[in-house]
Amino acid sequence: MSWTIAVGVKQVPDDDEVGIDPDTGRLDRASAPAVMNPPDREALEAALTIRDQVGGEVIAVTMGPPNAKTVLEQAVAMGCDDAVLVTDRAFAGSDTWPTSLTLARTAEALEADVVVCGEETTDSSTGQVPPGIAAHNGWAQLTYVEGVDARPEEDRLAARRDVEGGHELVAAELPVVVAVAYGEFDPRPAGLHRKIYAENDFEPTQWTAEDLEIKEEVGLDVSPTSVGGMETVDPVDRKGEVVDETDDLAEVLTEVSA
Amino acid sequence: MTPELDGDAVADPNYDDEFDAIVVGAGLAGSAAALTMANRGLEVLLIERGSSPGAKNVFGGVCYTPTIRELTDFDGAPLERYVAERRFSMLSRNDETAVSISPGEWHEAPHNDSYTVLRGEFDEWFAEQAVEAGTTLVTSTTVTGLVRKNGRIVGVETDRPDGTIRAPYVVLAEGGNSLVSEGADLKATETRENVAVGVKEVLEFPGRDEVIEDRFRLTDDAGVSYHYFGEGAVGDAFGGGFIYTNDDTVSIGVAYRIEDAVAADQSPEATLNAFKSHPAVAPLVRDARTVEYSAKTIPEGGAESIPDLVHDGAAIVGDAAGLVLNNGVHLEGTNMAVESGYHAGNAIARAADQGRVGAKALQAYPDALERSFVVQNLERYAWMMDAVEADRDLLFEDLPRAFADAGTEYFRMDRTPKEAHAENAKRAVLDAVGGWTGAAKLALRYRKVVT
Ligand SMILES: Cc1cc2nc3c(=O)[nH]c(=O)nc-3n(C[C@H](O)[C@H](O)[C@H](O)COP(=O)(O)OP(=O)(O)OC[C@H]3O[C@@H](n4cnc5c(N)ncnc54)[C@H](O)[C@@H]3O)c2cc1C
Repeated sequence: MSWTIAVGVKQVPDDDEVGIDPDTGRLDRASAPAVMNPPDREALEAALTIRDQVGGEVIAVTMGPPNAKTVLEQAVAMGCDDAVLVTDRAFAGSDTWPTSLTLARTAEALEADVVVCGEETTDSSTGQVPPGIAAHNGWAQLTYVEGVDARPEEDRLAARRDVEGGHELVAAELPVVVAVAYGEFDPRPAGLHRKIYAENDFEPTQWTAEDLEIKEEVGLDVSPTSVGGMETVDPVDRKGEVVDETDDLAEVLTEVSA
Repeated sequence: MTPELDGDAVADPNYDDEFDAIVVGAGLAGSAAALTMANRGLEVLLIERGSSPGAKNVFGGVCYTPTIRELTDFDGAPLERYVAERRFSMLSRNDETAVSISPGEWHEAPHNDSYTVLRGEFDEWFAEQAVEAGTTLVTSTTVTGLVRKNGRIVGVETDRPDGTIRAPYVVLAEGGNSLVSEGADLKATETRENVAVGVKEVLEFPGRDEVIEDRFRLTDDAGVSYHYFGEGAVGDAFGGGFIYTNDDTVSIGVAYRIEDAVAADQSPEATLNAFKSHPAVAPLVRDARTVEYSAKTIPEGGAESIPDLVHDGAAIVGDAAGLVLNNGVHLEGTNMAVESGYHAGNAIARAADQGRVGAKALQAYPDALERSFVVQNLERYAWMMDAVEADRDLLFEDLPRAFADAGTEYFRMDRTPKEAHAENAKRAVLDAVGGWTGAAKLALRYRKVVT
């Protein structure tokens, strides 16, 4: 028995380096260096853990510009067996709908038994992509996963899920999409030889929208999200008062709460 | 039609003996060695513990570049300013007596090969030159030990899983805190008297354009290198303070013997803060904000402390080999690091061409270093450390005070004739040095500094 495990990873601006443009007050993401979305490092760890349990292959997937290749190199350095860069100008402006469609088709093409993703990305924080992949393919989904337990003899993946007030154990039929809860998996360090290989000699497979036969179904035009506008909200003025005696303080407070 | 994987991913990559040489540490010495070997056609693996070369580097700031300029296309180097003025200043508790030099020649390229740099950027650029020449760089990886076979060094161990890698030659360029070389018994741990601690802050001046130009009297890319001695600089410790101007920041720091740091019961931070608040220094750094603080050791054993530079399968370069000239007037390590990396790289390339390993095959490196300015300078000033140590109280406390007193007396404005002032000034100095005989002895002892 061996499973094919696909992991979605994404390149995002480094949070530590994202500054605020002093003129506009907006986040300046353009000048921050690109890094792997931190939750995705944990998704990789979860995927490699599943491989440790059942055997098989872990294949990292990213949808992004050609320079997103570096996150795939990191994934291969950590232990992924192979990686796919899904890249095409046609993807420009895609929101979570076409993005999850693209990843869903990629997972299908890879004949994935399991797709593992991070809970959300630090640059958009929607958390919509993993359930989107499951929805597009009609596959099962496990979200907020804190622990994985592969059961190859049952063709099922069991997982511990974080739910309000505790956790639950759920088993899902394959194929299944897993969204990993952030902070639960400790990413393993890359091996030395793998790191040298990944950074210098490895080349990911490249697929285009056409390869996946979704050229007409991606991009800005088919993305339902529209941003209505952005506003910087001024802080509300608050009344401030200094009192000399503690007793007076109680008085002022009662006045307010009354 | 379903797309397919290229399917050429390697399942179990292994790079043992794929590289001709492994360099430990992507500082100036390591990148110089890697660049030299790569230029001569060797496959080189450069291993750096920081997330990028220079990320962990503390350094006051003047990079001396005669060799780097030859090795690289230097126009692209990230330089801050060239050094247009050097100022040597003696500080007692409250006084300053200074000498400043700024030859016109320093304003012209190549600016006496002295530039302030920020090592985070400079080291990254220099390592990049080695990579462009074909070196393979791996960062965020710490070498933890050497691999030996029948006594010969045949590779390194790192902190990564599957972390051992073999290659015929290893260059140790790990800097002053040379745990790998010491752990492998390639050199003895430096005695405390031969190690200095350096602490440095990079300061910025928020919202104040041109403040550096104005305070240090600079135009364009000109910069300064200020050196301070005496009890006002590092208390009663053996060492000094420095200020270097970068493009829009200032590096300020102190460097002094670790032994004193322990004995005098003052933390490096406290020493630096005292220096920063000296009346002659504080105005230069007024309204500054610290953007970076760092501390590091500096080997200063001089020529006598240089370990065996070559071993069976390995060479030691740069600070790891103790190649720093630090005698109060000069603090030079960058030029020596690059020079030693260059000679070691050449020697290894030659040995590899001839298919030879072993310490003898690498002997060309120590031979070349011996003939270079590196060992010559270290030997020339070897006596100085001892002399200065012996005269420590005189040089760092009594003399700065005497000079300040002499200045005060000489220029005193009162109703006494100037002749009396001059006499008092002379006496202040003579008392400190032990009369005319003392002065003559002192002059004789230190004449080599300038002659
Ligand atoms: C405060 C201070 C001020 C100074 N001022 C000057 C000056 O003005 N002018 C001047 O010429 N010199 C100056 N020096 C000296 C100069 O910094 C050094 O001589 C020079 O940096 C030596 O270069 P290096 O390449 O040998 O070592 P380093 O620059 O120390 O580089 C060593 C590199 O090896 C890496 N490394 C270490 N151990 C490992 C390991 N186990 N595995 C992997 N990587 C490792 C480190 O991260 C580092 O990148 C100063 C030093 C200090 C501390």
